[in-house]
Order: sequence, then C-alpha cells, then structure tokens
Amino acid sequence: MRAVTVSRAAAAVVTACLIGALVAVPLESLARIAAGGGLAGIARALTAPAARTAIVHTVAVAAAVTVVAVAAGTALALAVERRPARSRLLPRLLVAGPLAIPEFVLGFAWSQAYGPAGLTEHLTGLTLPGLFGPAGIIAVLTVYGVPLAYLAVTAGLAARADPALERAARTSGAGRWTTLRTVTLPLLRIPLLGAAALVFVTAAGSFAVPEVLGTPAGFGTMSTLVYTDLALSAGPAAFTELAVLALAMVVLVLLALGPLDLWLARLRPAARPAAPAAGPVGRRTAGDRAVMAVIWCYAIAAAGIPMLTLIATALTRGPGLAPVPANWTLANFASGLSGGAGVALARSAVLALAAAIAAPAIGALVAGLARGRWRGPLATLVTLAYAIPGSALAVGIIIGYGRWLDGSALIILVAYVAKFWVFGHRPVQAALDRLPPGLTRAARLSGARPAAAVRTVVLPPLTMAGVAAAGLVFVLAFHELTMSTILYGPGTETFAVVIMNTQDLGGVGATAALALVLTVPVVTVAALAAWLSRRTSFDIPNGPGSP
Amino acid sequence: MTALSSTLRTRDAAVDCAGLSVGYGRPALAGLDLSVAAGETVALLGVSGSGKTTLLNAIAGFVPPLSGEIWLSGELASGRGRLVPPERRRIGMVFQDHALWPHLSVLDTVAYPLRRAGAGRADAHRAARAILDQMGLDPVAGRRPGQLSGGEQQRVGLARALACAPALYLFDEPTAHLDASLRAQILDEVARRRATDGAAAIYATHDAAEALAIADRVAVLHSGTLVQTGPPAAVYAEPADLTVAALTGPMSVLHAQVRAAGAGRYAITVGDDLATVPGTAAPAAASADPGCPADPSCPADSGPADPGPADPGPADPGAPADRAILVRPDWACLARPGAPGGVDLPGAITEVRFRGPHTDYHLATPAGTLLIREPGPPRTDRGPVHWRLLQARLMPALS
Repeated sequence: MRAVTVSRAAAAVVTACLIGALVAVPLESLARIAAGGGLAGIARALTAPAARTAIVHTVAVAAAVTVVAVAAGTALALAVERRPARSRLLPRLLVAGPLAIPEFVLGFAWSQAYGPAGLTEHLTGLTLPGLFGPAGIIAVLTVYGVPLAYLAVTAGLAARADPALERAARTSGAGRWTTLRTVTLPLLRIPLLGAAALVFVTAAGSFAVPEVLGTPAGFGTMSTLVYTDLALSAGPAAFTELAVLALAMVVLVLLALGPLDLWLARLRPAARPAAPAAGPVGRRTAGDRAVMAVIWCYAIAAAGIPMLTLIATALTRGPGLAPVPANWTLANFASGLSGGAGVALARSAVLALAAAIAAPAIGALVAGLARGRWRGPLATLVTLAYAIPGSALAVGIIIGYGRWLDGSALIILVAYVAKFWVFGHRPVQAALDRLPPGLTRAARLSGARPAAAVRTVVLPPLTMAGVAAAGLVFVLAFHELTMSTILYGPGTETFAVVIMNTQDLGGVGATAALALVLTVPVVTVAALAAWLSRRTSFDIPNGPGSP
Repeated sequence: MTALSSTLRTRDAAVDCAGLSVGYGRPALAGLDLSVAAGETVALLGVSGSGKTTLLNAIAGFVPPLSGEIWLSGELASGRGRLVPPERRRIGMVFQDHALWPHLSVLDTVAYPLRRAGAGRADAHRAARAILDQMGLDPVAGRRPGQLSGGEQQRVGLARALACAPALYLFDEPTAHLDASLRAQILDEVARRRATDGAAAIYATHDAAEALAIADRVAVLHSGTLVQTGPPAAVYAEPADLTVAALTGPMSVLHAQVRAAGAGRYAITVGDDLATVPGTAAPAAASADPGCPADPSCPADSGPADPGPADPGPADPGAPADRAILVRPDWACLARPGAPGGVDLPGAITEVRFRGPHTDYHLATPAGTLLIREPGPPRTDRGPVHWRLLQARLMPALS
C-alpha cells in the first residue's frame, strides 16, 4: 500500500517538474514579459499594423489549409481505404511521403520547380501564379495537411467504421452517397475534428514555408514576424511586442483546440471500437485505377517534381543552366559543406539523437507512472505542449532559460524535448493501454517482484513503440528549423539553420545540395520507422474465404 | 423432395443462384447453385471460412460475382455484367456483430430504412415505434447501441431488418456471440416473424442444432461449394459424405464388414457378432448436385451439375466389404439385459458425460469408438457393456 502511495507521489512530482520545466516556465516567461507593458502595451502590440496583418494572414492561411487539406485527405482516404488491403500500401506511401521532407526543403523545392526561372518555366514557359505569397504557402502547407487528415481518417475508419455498418445502411435502402452522409461521415466526426485541429495548429505554427515563399513577397505571418522582430529587435519595448505576439499565437492555438477538446469529451462515449473487418475482395475496377491515377498525379506534383528539381539544381553548375550531364557537378555539395556546415550537420545529428532518446524515455516514465484519473488530462497537456507554436515556445525558452543556457546547444535540446515530447509519450501510452490488465498480476503470481514484473512483461511490448517513437522524434528534431533559428548562437547553428542562411545569401545550388543532405537521412530514418511500425502492427488477413 | 427441388429451380424463387463463383485467386465460392422459394427458410450450414458470409454478401449485392447469376424474385440482380446495388434489392440483413450505428439511437436506427424509403421523419418514427413495441424494445428506444445488452443489440438489428419490409432476410450468424437463452429468444423471434410476413430467409450458421431446428431446408457449404441440400431430417439421417455428417450433428464412424441383406437392410459384423439393421448407403462419390443427392430422377433442367449415376451400395450386394459406417448417437442404445430382439454387441464404456436431459456414453467397440446418447441420468458406469445398433448409414470408402 505504502509503495503505491510513494510511487503515486513520485509520479506527481516528476510529472509536475517536467511539465513545469518544459512548458510552464516558457509560457510564464512569455506572459511576464508580455504583461510588462500593461494592458496598454498589449493593446499597442496587437494593434500595430504589422502585427494585425500577421494575425489576419496566419488565421486565413491556416483556415484555408485546414479546409482544403481535410477535404482532400478525407476524400482520398475514403477512396483508398475501402479497397482490398494489398492495394493500400502504395497510395498511403504516396500521400504520406512528403511528411518525411522538411518544410523548408519542400518550400524551397517548390520555388525551384514552379517559381520564376524554375523547371516548369524552362520546360513550358509557365510558372505557378502566386507561388510567392499566400497561394503558394497554402499549397505547400496543404501538402503537409493532406497526409495528416488522411492518416486520421484512415485510423478512424479502422477504429470506428466497421464496413458492416455501411453495409447495414446499404441494405436499409441507402445509396452510396446517402450512406456516406448518414453513416460514414458521422462515424468519422471525431477523427475529422481532430485532424482539422491538428492541421490548423500545424499550419498556424509553420515558419519555414511562409519564410521561403511569403517573405520574398512581403507576406508575413505571425511566426515570420516573430523571427524578423527578434532579429531586428533593438529595445525592451520591441521585445515586449514580440512576447505579446508569441503569446497571441499560443492563444490562437488554444482557441482552436479548447472548444474542440470539450466537444470531443462530450462526444467520446458514442465511440465504439470495432474490429476492423476485411473488405470485400474484388477485381481492380476502373474506379480503383482512377483513384490511383489521381494519387499519382498529386504525389508527382506535390513532391515528385519539386524533389527532382532539387536534385537537378544541386547537381547543376549554375542557376539557369539546363540540368544536362554536360553541366553536372558536385561542386555545390563541396561549397555547401565547406565552412561550418559539416560541424553543424554533426551537431544536428547529436541533438536529434539526444532528443530521440530523451522524449520516449520521459514519455514512458510519465505514461507509466501516471495512472487513473490523471492519465487523460496529462495526455492533453502533453499534446498542448506540441500545439504551442515553435516560435512562441522558443521565445519563451529564451526568456526563461537564456540567462543560463544562452549560447549553448543545450537550450536547443530543451526546446526539442519540450516540443516533441508528445511523440515520445503517445506511442508508449498507446502501447501501455493495449496491454491486457492482468499482465503484471500474472507475473507477480508467477513469482516476479514488482521491478522484475515491469522489466519482464511490461517493457518488452513497449520496446517497439519506443523505437518507433525515437525514430519519429529524431526525424522531427533533425528537420527542426523554427525554434533552432531563434535559439542558435555563434557556434551552435544546426544544419537546418545553415541551409536557411545559405539560401538567404542566395546560394541556390549550395542550398539545394545541403537540402538533399538534410533530406536523405531523414527519408531513410522515416522509411525505417515506417517499416518498424508496420512490422509491429497486425496486418488483417484478407483472404477470399473471409468468414 | 424431387418435386420440390424442381419447382424451386425457377427464376421466380425469392433467390436463385446459378453457377455462382465469387472471389478471385482461390474462389470463395465456386459454381454454386442454390434456390430459395418464397416463404422458405434455408439454413446455410458451414464452418467459418466455408463461404457463408461471402454468399450472403454476394446475394446482398456487396460483392460482384466472378461468374454465374443471382436472381431475386424473378429479376436478374447480379451477373451478365449487371449488379443491382444493395439498396435496391429489398433485402433485410441481420449482421453477426449487430452492425448497429453507434451515432444513432435505437429509434433512429429502426426508422433509418423507413426514411430511406421516403417516409417523413414523423411517419418513420411512428412506424419504427410500432415495430419496437411488437418486439418489446420500446423501453430502450432512446438509447444508443453502446448502452444495450448483447441480446437487445441483436433484436434491434432484427427490428431494423424488419423495417426494410424485405422479400428476403439474410441472417449472418445472428446468434454467434449470444449466450444460449438469448439465442433461443432470437430464434423464436425470427420464427414468429417469418410465420407472419412470409418472406424467404437464408440463415447462415455454424451450429448444426440451430440449422436443423430453424430451417425448412439445410444447405451445407464446404470450401465454397454446396455439398448437400435437403430437409433437416434428411440431411441429418442421410449425409452425402463424412464432411456433411460431421457438420450436421454429433456422430461416430465405425469400420466393419458389411453386406447387403435385403431391402434397406445391412448385415454388419462387429467383433464376432453380426447385427442386421435398417440403413441407407451414401453414393460412392459425393454427389455433385446438392439439390438431389443420389437421385437419378432429378430433372434434367437442373444445369450442368447433374449427379453422376447413383451408387446402389457395395458393388456386389452379396459380398461383404469393409465400410465406414456412420452412427448418430441416437442410432444405438445400451442393451438392457434380457430385452427381446436384436443382437447384443460387445463394447466397453470409456467415458460417461451427464448433460442434463440426456447422457452421453463413449464406448470402445471392436469396430471403433462410438457415441451413444440416451435420455435421463447415467444408468451405468465405465466398464464392459453390451449395446445394440438400431440404424446405420454406409459412407463411401475413404480414398
């Protein structure tokens, strides 16, 4: 009994310390500085023309991305996921693939492919109108939003929409579209709302895409404004305005998530976990081929052409030259990696690795210790930490920890762990939840002491989840630009920061080369993680004689 | 039975599957013929994976046939490039896992088919309430599926199928996940319904007792083929082969010397004793046509799957031959000392299982192990015993 109480207390203390250090301190710092100017100061900061424009831009862009991405992702998921299992892997990879490309890289690749003097202009004389500006930002962010919606709907279909429910509607006289409207979509309400919130938060917090495609056109969002203000901020007043803006981003995100969370809590009892049933086996129809054609076109336009352009740019001697073998060179790689880039690459890898170890470890600790009624709120809190836009979190961390950690790469690591904690926590928590309840009791009755029971029967099933989580955190930390670019100092640049600075200085070929260096390991690790998580998930046999 | 099967092979049947194959690669159904007359209940009996659900899904229009046709009430529904969508087939389906929509109340669930048929909200609710009243479900009308017991969920599923006012019911193992008392309740409900509305029904189940109890005809499905179709009593007493025998109820298989002993009688050697009992013989090869097993008078219009020539029994009726003998547990009894008539055969009881209304005795005999079922509590314990054979069916020699 006493052991239980002690471990409860320890859990509470550890969790409180972690959340305090990683989330509360930065937010409190932001709030303290923002409140420094009083209400008048806050009002002044928010009504400054630049700030107002940035807020409007951010909300408009995020809303547009949410609408387009959720609609497209849902449509694609519904079209693909009711097909026989063997034809699903390819479309899933095609849709989700861009998630493995850093935002900055994809934004830059789009500018090289579809922008002025880009590949399409070379070949056809056409450029994508509005690429530099809101339309381009929305387009590229949608490429990241679509897979989020797609994956959420896919998970929702598997967990909630047993195909038998749709069949019941069909035999009850509902046509295909009526079934979609009256059964499938209502069943997917919660995953759809979750996907919308996730896409909105991600789009609103994005820094790299607006920086690459918006800043050249003078189109600012809250995150780019925070970055610019920080770079230019001269006095304390400017810093106060910056803090107010960062805090406003947090509030915006909470506004998007808060009511949703309440609503979800109300809806949740209706959810019914259904065993995913095997779909009917049929021949590949014209409809299937059309869906696949659409997905191929989408993937080629969204990621294929831009990434090929990036490769061509990296291998071509100078901008504007045709990417033919006569013009091929590796000089871009050499020049890009000269100077501090190599060291920065190593630094990024070490930081990402540290975050990849720390996040699942902390996640497992908190998930394992926190039981009962604290489980839900805790998960929400950890998720909220992720929802805090990187710009705001980074500014808060500067204010909170800058005194001690300024100029140290450690401050970047703190930011990574705070931001990506959720990706360590979630899979481990999910794996824990899947464990049958009697597991440790059975181990205890079989003669294991408490510690041995945890070590022998609880941890092994969590290993796969932990490894997959570590892979994901590594990828995200390795990508990370928003916070790194705010937090780095002389001698602590991360590789992503080096790439962005190279691009700032106009080195197109070198930027492309470095972007490839950044992307290739990321794609490799992502593929590995996908492979691992695929191995741990149970494939549903879909034989013709399904009972 | 012959006359019945010939009238059923018309396109006016509630369902008529002709040469139906479904699935590709290894077909889930291969060349299946099945006809269900209006008002008839056919139990589709088979183990899981035998193709029961696939057949129901094909009839409901969820799966296009690879080849063959499905006719519903005289209308071509599947086949020849045609696939009438499920919502236009006038089929009421009851699903194995209930398939109740988690976001709809019981009332809305039952009103759903009525709404789809064009009824207004108020009318649909009124009609749905009437159905719920009849089924005693009115107290739970406002609840969501998650708040119902398993039996209530299944009855709501049944009520929803009723609301479709179908010409054909499809039951996909509706009682598979229910306990015995709920199972009986659902079966009663189904039987009562069927008596009143006269619709046809196909009832898929893996439970032989359920199939025999509920159906006018039992169709035995094995690996995607119908291996036998017939009235419950016939399928039970005269299974075409051992697969069907095992699927349609408890049984034992003895191996002994058998010779024909006049009209419908066989002399069977067990140990040193010879018992002559009434019996039947299964055709040598499993009959290809499920509709009329071993019946040479089966009409010629029954398609390509005509039965081969029936096997009259052992090649030479007079000569003894080693045969597999099917014995149902009620086709043998423990011999009462001094009872007149019959031959006492040797054996030993190895196991006694009291099952309430009856008792199962497992015997070791010179011809193999035997299960005997007798009413009442156990009469005797393990040990040597005499038993009598009352009836037998000779099965094709196992190749």
